[in-house]
Amino acid sequence: MQLLDIRNLTVEMQTPQGIVRVLDKVNLQLTEGEIHSIVGESGSGKSLLAKAIVGFINPNWQVTADRLWWNGKDLLAMSPQQRRQITGRDMAMIFQDPNAYLDPNSTVEQQIVEAIPQGDVRGTFMRRRVDRKTRVKRLLHRVGIRDHEPIMDSYPFELSQGVAQKVSIAIAIAHRPKLLIADEPTTAMEPSTRLQIHRLLARLAVSQQMSVVLISQDVGSILPETKRLTMLYCGQLMETGPAKDILSEPAHPYTDSMIRMSLQTQQELPHKARLPTLPGAIPTLRHMPIGCRLGPRCPHAQKTCVKAPTATHERQRVYHCHFPLLVTSS
Amino acid sequence: MSHLLEIHNLGKTFRPRKGWPWTPQSVAIEPLSFTLEAGEILAVMGETGSGKSTLAKIIGGVDTATSGEIWLNGQKLHSNKYSQLCNNIRMIFQDSENSLNAHLTIGKQLEEPLLFNTKLNVAERQERVNVTLQRVGMLREHWEFYPHMLSSGQKQRVCIARAIILEPQIVVADEALVGLDPSVRAQIINLMLDLQEDMGISYILVTHSPQIVKHIADKILILYRGKMIAFDKTDIVLKDTQQSYVQQLLHEHLKQNIQYSSDTSAKIAD
Repeated sequence: MQLLDIRNLTVEMQTPQGIVRVLDKVNLQLTEGEIHSIVGESGSGKSLLAKAIVGFINPNWQVTADRLWWNGKDLLAMSPQQRRQITGRDMAMIFQDPNAYLDPNSTVEQQIVEAIPQGDVRGTFMRRRVDRKTRVKRLLHRVGIRDHEPIMDSYPFELSQGVAQKVSIAIAIAHRPKLLIADEPTTAMEPSTRLQIHRLLARLAVSQQMSVVLISQDVGSILPETKRLTMLYCGQLMETGPAKDILSEPAHPYTDSMIRMSLQTQQELPHKARLPTLPGAIPTLRHMPIGCRLGPRCPHAQKTCVKAPTATHERQRVYHCHFPLLVTSS
Repeated sequence: MSHLLEIHNLGKTFRPRKGWPWTPQSVAIEPLSFTLEAGEILAVMGETGSGKSTLAKIIGGVDTATSGEIWLNGQKLHSNKYSQLCNNIRMIFQDSENSLNAHLTIGKQLEEPLLFNTKLNVAERQERVNVTLQRVGMLREHWEFYPHMLSSGQKQRVCIARAIILEPQIVVADEALVGLDPSVRAQIINLMLDLQEDMGISYILVTHSPQIVKHIADKILILYRGKMIAFDKTDIVLKDTQQSYVQQLLHEHLKQNIQYSSDTSAKIAD
């Protein structure tokens, strides 16, 4: 059963220079308990895609899709109230800078209590209080905070980044969502904390049967347990498919250069050798190239690249390129 | 033969905000000594709060040490002698978005260090700015630009240009590669290596990415709660199996994504 099914999602933004397509026909399929990574550089629309899923988007922007289904229900056809109910019940999102996203005015305990669904705690007044407290403790233990007492009473500014991110994960999983969207949860974190958060997310996906969408800048910093991978560039889908296949045999030139630019995957490079990189910079919204938006930076670009490439389906993966690196084996 | 940079028993303590005069001071860096040669890259690693940024700030002249001394080319470095400091040691900060002055054009910002530290006239200053801009891969026309008109990668390039315009011997980069996109990060690393080849700059690189350290650093200095627990050549520190902390800091992350490193580049060449 497909949990989330997105076909040709397009988001258009009104600017003084005219309409800009910030997401251009993006597809995403997600099954239960799956870890899906979305990788792209800044301005690739990966956060926007996440926001479009949870319906967190500026109402002036136009969202169109052939299909935006959640558990077989069409999210775009719903009234805002209905959609909000489903989002609130089934989805959760965590963000890049946890210290900034937590409420500075209340303690960790108060914030987690707020996220516990009303129906979960029953009984008399005192009983509910005790119940809430034990639930908070259990949630903190579940996200790997063993020493819960001092953490519960502290304010967000007193927490380190890693602990704050764990608290925000605890808030996110308090209502047992089916989907957790993690928007660059570990950028600007030091490696050991990043590792802890990654392990936690992977464990939660298995133990809670929760799907995780992990958004990342760098192919090197995705979860090793990632099942499927989607590469975005400037709002266009470059390649999507099983992560292992893509990382070992990239079909799209962009995927290939992202893998080679990531230092994690370059183990055998000589000391101080120049790193492979894409020339130029990411285009701004006003100056989007036509056709394949990677065109001006692509090492394999030719004349035909001014036309947007169509999707090529091959085994389980899909890529949009006129000159793929893989020779089609069919 | 003297070294380029010698640090002797450099230490830093902070007086607590509240307390009696005899309240013990908190130690940010315990006295440490090391040397740096010309054309080397020294990576300073450690957890948050291990004092690595404080060390970078002291060497960069932003902060003063409470004990110890810094020797540069056999001369003692005084923290109040700005010309000596600025002409030899420059700094690059983490957030290039905020470290540039939004009210000045790029040209003006690059001109300022020349104005304060050299006796060049207007034409010579302009020439120097143009040459430096081209050296970091930008154009003469960028003189007229304001920071908000540039992309994040270009801003980082301007920061590097500002650091190298006085042709210093040492550049201290405090987390300068964090938060950049992979393609931009690779470009900046290449630029830093190119500049080192051209001008013989030594870098002191404060970072927590073991991959970058492994790739470009000649020497590694590891701080743990203000104590220097390792200082040696990169390959020696990487091979060091004695200290579990060093292992934990470096190797876990170098191993993490090893399953993806199956020779992708070879397959693409076919």
